Amino acid sequence: MVDVFVAGNKEKPIGKDENRLDYRTPGIKKVKGRFYSPFSSFCYFPLGVKFISKDSKEEIVLFLRRHWITNVGWIVISIVLLFAPVVLGSFPILSFLPDGFQFIAVAIWYMIAVAYTLESFLGWFFNVCIVTDERVFDVDFVNLIYREITDANLNQIQDVTVTMGGVFRTIFNFGDVIIQTAGEVPRIEFTAIPNPDKAAKILRELREAEEQENLGRLKE
Amino acid sequence: METIPLTNISVWLIAKIFVLIALGLYIVFAAVVVKQVGLMIKTIEVGFEAPIKFVAWGHLLFAVGIFVLAIIIL
Repeated sequence: MVDVFVAGNKEKPIGKDENRLDYRTPGIKKVKGRFYSPFSSFCYFPLGVKFISKDSKEEIVLFLRRHWITNVGWIVISIVLLFAPVVLGSFPILSFLPDGFQFIAVAIWYMIAVAYTLESFLGWFFNVCIVTDERVFDVDFVNLIYREITDANLNQIQDVTVTMGGVFRTIFNFGDVIIQTAGEVPRIEFTAIPNPDKAAKILRELREAEEQENLGRLKE
Repeated sequence: METIPLTNISVWLIAKIFVLIALGLYIVFAAVVVKQVGLMIKTIEVGFEAPIKFVAWGHLLFAVGIFVLAIIIL
């Protein structure tokens, strides 16, 4: 008889140590490890992710970046830029230029296309939000010469707001999570992240756990 | 050969100088990309550092290559 369900074939957590997924927060106990790709937009307990100023005991609970659908615009533009010289090659636009200049003009075009694609990709790839069991860490890679790194302790979080509107955001389930803090930076924004409700819920549970921990310390 | 009136300077020589200046600026931009990628990799490690570094360096070498080629063929 064919086995319809085999218990042993369950999806295995990718983590080296499976116990690491048994988290102390009551609401998110035993979160199963998911496949972690460097291109993930929403990931629990990502493996191999490190960030500057991370404590050795600090554990990353959530790794977030903009939803992949937000990349469609620049990917389409990049493809158009890539194929434009091939299409325009059939029209004698650059024929007034000497051969050498024609070649360099096409090379410059491709350099601009590469620069645009690279900057757009880096802007998405390095624009990340990390929630650890101690704090929230937001890296904004605004452009190639400007970046902003913000962090706030979980006990400084005062309010978490989720905003989600528009057709695309509703269909693909992504939105913004705005965190008001009592820290030096009053506002941290996670922009266009997938599952914003889930992220807000995890943040709330982490805050509760932090408060309980602080209360425990005071009682001692 | 086309020259600027009242001078004996070729238009294409002036064009070549402008192209080389533009390509020089692009090399600076490509170097900034390499530097910024290095800084960002120090800020966050997600397990995809080597390919990004490779692309950034490849981009810089490509820009330098085009600059050298422009000096030769223009």
